[in-house]
Amino acid sequence: MGGMLSGVGRFQRRDLLRAYGPGLLGLTLPRWLRAEEQSALSLRARAKSVIFLFQWGGPSHVDTFDMKLQAPTGYRSLFSPIASSVPGLPVCEHLPETAKVLHHFAQIRTVHHTMNNHNSAGYTALTGYEPPIDDQRLRESLDLFPGYGSVVAATQPGTGDLPQAVSFPYQIADGSTTPGQRASFLGKQHDPLFFQDDPNDPAFRLSQLTLPQGVSLDRLGSRRGLQQLINSQSRQLDRSAVAEGLDAYYLRSLELLNSDRVRQAFDLSSEPGALREAYGRTTYGQSCLLARRLVEHGVKFVTVYFAPSIGGRSKTDGGWDTHGFDNTRMYEILPEWHLPVTDRTLPTLIRDLNERGLLEETLVVWMGEFGRTPKINDSISRDHWPKCYTVLLAGGGVRGGAVYGASDRHGAVPDRDPVTVGDLAATMYYTLGIDHTREVHDNLNRPLPLARGRAVAEIFG
Amino acid sequence: MTNRLLCAVALLAVAAGDVCAAGEVPSFRHEVMPVLSRAGCSLGTCHGNQNGKGGLRLSLRGQDPDLDYTTLTRTLGARRVNVQQPEDSLLLRKPLMQVPHEGGRRFGADSFEYRLLRDWIAAGMPRDGGVAGGSGQVRLKRLLVEPGLVTLAGDQRTQQLTATAEFSDGTRRVVNDLAVFESSHPGVLVSAAGVVDFGEVLGVRQTTVTVRYLDQQQVSRVEYLRGVSDFHFESPVAVNAIDEAVFGQLRRLQLNPAGLCSDEVFVRRLYLDLTGLLPTREQAEAFLKSPAVDRRARLIDRLLESEEFVDFQTLRWADLLRVEDKTLDAKGVSVFHQWIRSSVRADRPLNEFAGALTGARGSTYTEPAANFYRALRTPEERSESAAQVFLGVRLQCARCHNHPFDRWTQDDYYGWTNFFARVDYKILENRRRDINDKHEFDGEQVVYMKARGDVKNPRTGERAELRFLGVADQQLSAAAGRDGADRLQVLSEWLSSERNDRFVATQANRIWQQLMGQGVVDPIDDFRGTNPPSNPALLEVLVREFRAGGMRVRPLMRLILNSAVWQQSAESAAGVELSDADAAPLFVRSVPRRLTAEQLLDGIGLVLGAAPRFGGQPAGVRAVQLAGVRGGGHRYSRPESGDRFLSLFGKPGRIQTCECERLGETTLAQTMEMVSGVVVSDLLGRAENRISESLRAGEPVELFVEDLWWRALSRPPVAAEVQAMVRHVAEQADHRRGLEDVVWAVLNSNEFLLRQ
Repeated sequence: MGGMLSGVGRFQRRDLLRAYGPGLLGLTLPRWLRAEEQSALSLRARAKSVIFLFQWGGPSHVDTFDMKLQAPTGYRSLFSPIASSVPGLPVCEHLPETAKVLHHFAQIRTVHHTMNNHNSAGYTALTGYEPPIDDQRLRESLDLFPGYGSVVAATQPGTGDLPQAVSFPYQIADGSTTPGQRASFLGKQHDPLFFQDDPNDPAFRLSQLTLPQGVSLDRLGSRRGLQQLINSQSRQLDRSAVAEGLDAYYLRSLELLNSDRVRQAFDLSSEPGALREAYGRTTYGQSCLLARRLVEHGVKFVTVYFAPSIGGRSKTDGGWDTHGFDNTRMYEILPEWHLPVTDRTLPTLIRDLNERGLLEETLVVWMGEFGRTPKINDSISRDHWPKCYTVLLAGGGVRGGAVYGASDRHGAVPDRDPVTVGDLAATMYYTLGIDHTREVHDNLNRPLPLARGRAVAEIFG
Repeated sequence: MTNRLLCAVALLAVAAGDVCAAGEVPSFRHEVMPVLSRAGCSLGTCHGNQNGKGGLRLSLRGQDPDLDYTTLTRTLGARRVNVQQPEDSLLLRKPLMQVPHEGGRRFGADSFEYRLLRDWIAAGMPRDGGVAGGSGQVRLKRLLVEPGLVTLAGDQRTQQLTATAEFSDGTRRVVNDLAVFESSHPGVLVSAAGVVDFGEVLGVRQTTVTVRYLDQQQVSRVEYLRGVSDFHFESPVAVNAIDEAVFGQLRRLQLNPAGLCSDEVFVRRLYLDLTGLLPTREQAEAFLKSPAVDRRARLIDRLLESEEFVDFQTLRWADLLRVEDKTLDAKGVSVFHQWIRSSVRADRPLNEFAGALTGARGSTYTEPAANFYRALRTPEERSESAAQVFLGVRLQCARCHNHPFDRWTQDDYYGWTNFFARVDYKILENRRRDINDKHEFDGEQVVYMKARGDVKNPRTGERAELRFLGVADQQLSAAAGRDGADRLQVLSEWLSSERNDRFVATQANRIWQQLMGQGVVDPIDDFRGTNPPSNPALLEVLVREFRAGGMRVRPLMRLILNSAVWQQSAESAAGVELSDADAAPLFVRSVPRRLTAEQLLDGIGLVLGAAPRFGGQPAGVRAVQLAGVRGGGHRYSRPESGDRFLSLFGKPGRIQTCECERLGETTLAQTMEMVSGVVVSDLLGRAENRISESLRAGEPVELFVEDLWWRALSRPPVAAEVQAMVRHVAEQADHRRGLEDVVWAVLNSNEFLLRQ
């Protein structure tokens, strides 16, 4: 006993970091992954990361990227088209900057599913699986499928400091919290790192990474020393599996707190002011900037949510759900809020990634839970439309300017090459080198593939 | 010896036997279908998948032979089978991998399976005489597996199982060549011929082998132990029938149980298990200093009668009965919680409790038990929840197809669900804040029974025939189907009947699991043939004693807590080396587990003498006392730090009726909360807490440390600990910081975080 205590005292930071490298991070590989080595996932990864920009509320496809110029009155967008950097591919007049970088994007114009409500459609768009009921009342439950980030975190465990999946800055809900934002039956350890701190706040820091006031890393180190002393008193407890598991987590959390790299990744203050302005001084804008930083630091799947609510009734905040309720009007709201924010942020993100040489290895996905009705409603706005809508992809080896699939003359149904959300999910996994036909077992032990569908390989160069 | 003989006979039978009796054509139902199961064709991962595979869709695990017959012989332009040249059939070429087959090679050209399928095709693919299901068709009556339980030892590491099918025409056939054998333990293999092989195992191992043939399943329990010839069984004195049952099994397995735990471990463990709270220093010292020889029994009696026990037991039921603010609203949560609490305090027999809940109706404000149905708003939710919490059955799978590894069929599912079809609601008021949220209810509702209404069985398309779950004699349920009968009343009476064995076993097992951390059947809401009790004799004892105690909770708990098994130490007996996962089902020693969310937060609060903050609650309320999930405040506002902590550490949201909703696993986010999170640092830094008190009183550090150890760990610190802590504090410029560091260290130690 005496020998063990002689070294007790101050534990330096370097002691904490010594010898606790990547091996630690395979802490909680799911059973089905342990048995087979990574070689089974032999697909060539085209990209290292995905930035998933989720447009909660459902942006109208026929008013943005799939404008139906020949459609009759009552269907045709009330916005005018403008030319983009891709000949023959017009975009909405309120997206002039986006038009200039359209040559980086591939469009899939025939994405479809059968869910009409926000929560059920949101879940579908976030997981690639349709839920058993198309109901607004759909809630998080262990029966439902995990979100993309969690799947990636579970199939490609990290070797660095940062978690594999990060989502921010909102938890989306429409009544109940929208399912598909977490790991569900894969286990909480594969939940994305989630935070609601606002990147646009000048004092932005991640609360999880912030030490309590007055506690420095050195002090944390000495606390750790005392803890270990107490633990050593009960050797038999120390050896038990659950205690070993706890200790592994302590080491991991101390690693994260001590890691300069992790702290830097979340430190927006080191970005030049001009760049921060270029992204737009909005929560969404700064979140996209943060997303770029995170993929630079090796995070594999970053999800940025456009707004916490489905919105559509305000000119200053909220999501894309412009029905024209409460005497509001879609064509007055979009040019004030949603489109300017998008037009500022999205091109900046693409350019920024491109200039840093990150675009080739980062897949950017711009997607909502559905599009909007081809026919304008009585409130001169549009309602939900999952039967055919547009998703934008850029980077990750995607062929810029490509258009996959064609919608009919009203933008109502796929005319050619329909793509399901399962196909889209498969495409994302394909880009990361994950075999989407691989199966996981849910909490009722049913075998389910990671994605049901076929990767749209045609959009890659 | 007998085993070897059996082995030989079985081998002979299989080898010598031809595909079938000479001259007879293979039976589609009884031979071809099983072969497809056996070769793995109809598994959920292959052609039994909802979408099929490669364009071929078979019914899951062969549950629909008629459909499969049509699929194999008619669809795809009948290209799967070739009567003129059977060997050219896709049905044979694919599993042989003579053409590309993602499922791989399932059997060889000289195998029994191949010959059977070929002979069947060559015979013109007969359908087994006439219309499917017609009268006179021979059906499988029973499947038997021998031996049902066998213990192997020493060099004997293999065991041949024999599966025999009894048909309705009186014939019997050994079906080893047609049945599917599956071993539950991944380290124990079972061959296609039914030979169980333990391989190079060291020490004790048990497996349950499931044998499937047609639509029936049986299990065989096979265990292996090293078999030391000079084994000497040593155990603490067996106090009651529980000890006898557990020790009896351990003696057979040649495993010595752990000795009794120390008094220090006992007092902390008992307080945590019964009240969810740590013992105060005074309470712990009073117990440890007591000269009474039966001090343990006395403390058990005292705690069972305490208010804190009532709080903690109520919390468990509140989880299962979904006492949650959004659906029940604040008043509903309060009255329902109160009602549960008074039932717990009075130790109301659990069958009466269950009867009151399932038969409840009326206003959810004035008839508290009606909140049971307010939370469960569709017939399926009601039936699945009732099955899970009262009968220990997870029925969910059977909603869409016959349960793949249990006996429940879709008919059972919908027949049971139909009991709950007529529950409806008069919503007197709904002041919910979010009109889009159909789960939110704020206002009085009346639960009542409609005069009409049924669920349809999707398989038949007709109104589902009422069925009690798991009962052969359906006369009673037929009575409930008569016009004018109050079927919920009938259900409630059946459920609460003292003869309802399934109910009794489920509740007894749950009480055991609450105290031991592991059910005799585990998971506790998943009783099925393929998940047998780890110790059948023990389960019988629990059931018997629970009944003898009038189905009340306290008498059974008293029995369990006084047993040597519950009082075991976490330290294994000499020579016993089992991992936690292997030790737990055998109850050979105590297995440490992490404190639950409420225990942890309350514990931290008690140690620091400062209360965490909960939404909408007065100061000083403990986590175990919280009635709902997130009291007070609108859901869209950020939760109070205490509520957030609880949710982070696994407190269930109560939107499911499943014990699994409380997540016990540790996560990184939890650890970060303990290491650097707001709750702990806030409590440490409070102006009014134990540390502040100590500083104000000028208490010497040694005394502070001693007091802290007693509060947190229920023991005095050893000299080395005192020295290290005192030295650390002395070295800090800020005395208070030093003390905070010491408290942090204790709160993050294994001994604090784990219930030993």
